[in-house]
Amino acid sequence: MDLKDISTSVPRKDHKGKVSGQLAYISDVKVENMVYGVLYRSPIAYGKIISIQLPNLPEGYEAVGAEDIPGPNYVKIIKEDQPIFANDWVNYIGEPILMLVGGDLNILYSLLDEVKIELEEHQAIYTLDKAIKQKSVPGVNMASYEFGESLEIISAIELKAHQIIEEEYDTGYQEHVYLEPQGMLAIYKEDEIVVQGSMQCLYYIKNALLSALACGDDDVRVVQSPTGGGFGGKEDYPSMMACHVAVAAKAVKKSVMLVFDRSEDMVVTTKRHPAKLKYRTAIDKDGNILSMCVEIFLDGGANVGLSSVVLQRALINSAGVYKIPHFHSKGYVLKTNTVPNGAFRGFGAPQSFAGIESHIGHLSKLANIDPIEYKRKYLVKQGDPTITKGNFRDPILMEEMIEDLLNASDYKKKKVEFQTFNQQNQRYKKGIGTSLFLHGCGFTGSGERDHIKATVKLVKSKDGKVILKISNSDMGQGIYTTLSKIVAKELDILYEKVLYPDPDTKEVPDSGPTVASRTTMIVGKLLQRAAKKLKDQWQSGVEQEVVEHYVHREMIPWDEKTFTGDAYPAYSWGVNIVEVEVDTLTGNLKLEKVYANYEVGKVIDDRVMKGQIDGGLAQGLAYGYLEKMTSREGKIQQKSISDYGPPTSLDVVTIQSKVFDNPYADGPYGAKGAGELTLIGGAPAVQAAIEDALQTSFQQIPITPEVIIESLWMREGEEG
Amino acid sequence: MAEKIIAYRFDRLDQTLSQLNNENCVIIAGGTDVMVLHKSRRGVPPKIPKPIVFIDHLSELKRVYQNDKDLHIGACCTYSELLEDPFIPSPLKDAIKTIAAPAIRNRGTLGGNICNASPAGDTLPLLYIYNAKLLLRSVKGDRIVAISDFIQGPRRVQRDHNEILAEIILPSILEGGSHVVFEKVGNRNADAIAKVGFAGYIRLNGARIDDVRFAFGAVGPTMVRSMDIEKKLLGKTVPLAAADIAQIVAAFDKIIKPIDDQRSTALYRKTVALNLLRYFLSMKQYQPN
Ligand SMILES: Cc1cc2nc3c(=O)[nH]c(=O)nc-3n(C[C@H](O)[C@H](O)[C@H](O)COP(=O)(O)OP(=O)(O)OC[C@H]3O[C@@H](n4cnc5c(N)ncnc54)[C@H](O)[C@@H]3O)c2cc1C
Repeated sequence: MDLKDISTSVPRKDHKGKVSGQLAYISDVKVENMVYGVLYRSPIAYGKIISIQLPNLPEGYEAVGAEDIPGPNYVKIIKEDQPIFANDWVNYIGEPILMLVGGDLNILYSLLDEVKIELEEHQAIYTLDKAIKQKSVPGVNMASYEFGESLEIISAIELKAHQIIEEEYDTGYQEHVYLEPQGMLAIYKEDEIVVQGSMQCLYYIKNALLSALACGDDDVRVVQSPTGGGFGGKEDYPSMMACHVAVAAKAVKKSVMLVFDRSEDMVVTTKRHPAKLKYRTAIDKDGNILSMCVEIFLDGGANVGLSSVVLQRALINSAGVYKIPHFHSKGYVLKTNTVPNGAFRGFGAPQSFAGIESHIGHLSKLANIDPIEYKRKYLVKQGDPTITKGNFRDPILMEEMIEDLLNASDYKKKKVEFQTFNQQNQRYKKGIGTSLFLHGCGFTGSGERDHIKATVKLVKSKDGKVILKISNSDMGQGIYTTLSKIVAKELDILYEKVLYPDPDTKEVPDSGPTVASRTTMIVGKLLQRAAKKLKDQWQSGVEQEVVEHYVHREMIPWDEKTFTGDAYPAYSWGVNIVEVEVDTLTGNLKLEKVYANYEVGKVIDDRVMKGQIDGGLAQGLAYGYLEKMTSREGKIQQKSISDYGPPTSLDVVTIQSKVFDNPYADGPYGAKGAGELTLIGGAPAVQAAIEDALQTSFQQIPITPEVIIESLWMREGEEG
Repeated sequence: MAEKIIAYRFDRLDQTLSQLNNENCVIIAGGTDVMVLHKSRRGVPPKIPKPIVFIDHLSELKRVYQNDKDLHIGACCTYSELLEDPFIPSPLKDAIKTIAAPAIRNRGTLGGNICNASPAGDTLPLLYIYNAKLLLRSVKGDRIVAISDFIQGPRRVQRDHNEILAEIILPSILEGGSHVVFEKVGNRNADAIAKVGFAGYIRLNGARIDDVRFAFGAVGPTMVRSMDIEKKLLGKTVPLAAADIAQIVAAFDKIIKPIDDQRSTALYRKTVALNLLRYFLSMKQYQPN
């Protein structure tokens, strides 16, 4: 491929099918002998199933439940606490109990209404606050970690401090709102079950199926169908749906399709963990930080799923991009009887960054220093230790990126202009806010080495085409394009000669899940090495195959028990500046300008990167002020997109962004991760801008108009 | 196993009316409310309990014309059509621009918004303060009713099953001289259901108030409007005295009774409704628009 610079954009591999509307998603698929499945779900949040009475099922209609599962009744993820079909206790409203299958959805829905269940209801825990109060009750604390400076030393520092600042900060749910709701199809064959659907992690699903079906490696096969967005929502959740359809297909000996509509998807699938973050910081008389203790509580929902790993990332990011003296952190995942929470772009980091950026911003006000200047005093530098006693060993360009963005946005001038504007305008108030953030690329700790052990394969055909054999999903983020490009460039062949078919576990080795901002950096690097190897051995006219395995770059070894070592091999960085205008009559917010600088090593494709920036920021900004999901007595209240309110094109403005080069030795062409990073700075920047506009402090996101109006109302009360 | 649905689509209004007279039917104009109301779960067609009559193509229902100082708007004019029409007052156009998004605006009609009678219908606050009158037509002839009498509650209107809403009449609107505002408060800038709607109307003679009207949406089962409260302001001069403003706000405070739901809180709705009212009343001057 003849590109001077790898970053130069090429047409996306998936462009035509998507733009023409021709691409068939799973719900468009029909296979022979296919029936539909619908799930009967728990009507209560916590209790014991006493009995279930099924209606008379017409011919061709069957019920499938726990007794049909050949293997153990849990979805294999990390812990064995998530039943495939709950048959004893139910732990949240909407938990699957059994599946009805048959040819006509209309009939299935009316049969569902006739299922009778007798339950013994128990006292449920509906809120994180309640779970925090009951933390010591067995079963509530599902995971916890603690690390950092000793508490004795911190107590001693606090004793001599000028002031102790304590803050409590809450973050809400976030819903993925992938355009394509979840869907999974199990195709029944005599000797094999093929599970096909919308997914991010083929081998997670395969492993879950091997366990649930208690079958041999060749008896199941997982194929990704075109996936209309994931954002983490299709990391863990599809494993459960795959178990449902595969168990059902085996039981009824037919192919079974399970597709959610939007409201079902919104109510029962995983979401971003609501969190409570507590900060306790000792400062001296000039407002300098002497010590800091952070406590994080994540609402895990009804089972632990991936929550412990989400907590790890939340904790590792609990000091933000700052070098804080005498830092101590601990965190918990707590159980509530609500829909389980799971993976979501950022994976615990967005909560932590929202919290720490808010707290540091508030400390800067106490110190009477502009937030960005205060933050810069504590910014980590190359060679600094991380809070887990790892090391920031690569160059950090944050100072340059901040300076550049302050100039691009005319930050200082805006501050003055807005002050004047706000004095003159009674109704509208303008503000400007910043956020600084990073994202650790790849799996936490030694996950890549110990758990994932990625393998990639390249196959060259006789006619000189090269096929990527990896298990990673393109869910819209663009890896069909970027990974093909890396291989084409390395082999110096035409981009069109590189093929990347929808992955199928029968064809591809396990190159790991498509998560954790790992794909470009880790899998891309493996592919680059494989391509190099293939180039060296290249013989025209013959079929060739090369395989590459993950090699761990040993740094400071990660120890999960002590929570020390290098948590990530590399970090990507970002700075956001946001300008808003707040309507003080309605609390409504208008985004006026959004500026963003990022450093992701090296961009593999400019347009794909811009897609990540614009989409990630829109999602991150919305997390801070727009998207609001609530649960009442265990029930999700917002069941439609319009009630939940993700941003439309009229809510987001043009995002002025720039990406800095800082090639990373262990990434392909220097690339690091970029997918999650772009979301993280949105919410804290928008909060800072709202605070600047209203000259007040908030202790939560999203800062909805309701929150703003209440805050203004309370202030009016105080002022008399 | 698709269920059978009977649907009528006549070329002319009189045929449509006589069918409606013979049989109780569901009228579909744009269908953007009907289809949502009757939608089923995934993969199953909507279940509409009665035969359907399509009316969106009937030219008799799509005219916009002036009659003396009154403006007549055909009930089946779509929002997109109204946005293009020079007769439509600009505050109404502003309200229409806040509705849904282009695709729905290409289908949805003004008549549908009225007959659907949602507390959050975005054209309703303005239609109330324009004193809109509705022309209902049946085989028996025409009758005219005030919008506030027609709308009885959420999705409840005073329409006989043989009647069609033919025209919306905005009396004296072309006289001009009034200052009208509309504000929609939704959770985002498109495709949002109103959390609060406010429309204010004021006509001055010099500095003296000749006529003033207010309507609030999404804060009760129907639009909140009170002639009694409005009357208190007649004859006062602008800018209004703080005590007068406080009196009006306090009077509305008593009659606005919103609810908590998945979109917002009662407290928010009420506070914002009163904020918008207070802001309107506190304006130093009013330009006719
Ligand atoms: C995605 C989406 C977004 C929306 N956003 C908004 C919004 O922002 N603001 C808002 O106010 N509404 C909104 N709506 C609701 C809807 O679009 C409007 O209420 C629209 O005006 C309805 O018009 P229609 O012609 O589609 O009505 P229809 O669905 O055809 O009819 C609605 C009701 O009125 C009756 N009807 C219609 N015309 C007549 C007539 N001439 N005579 C007698 N009865 C009649 C029908 O029988 C039915 O009961 C939205 C709807 C959708 C699907």
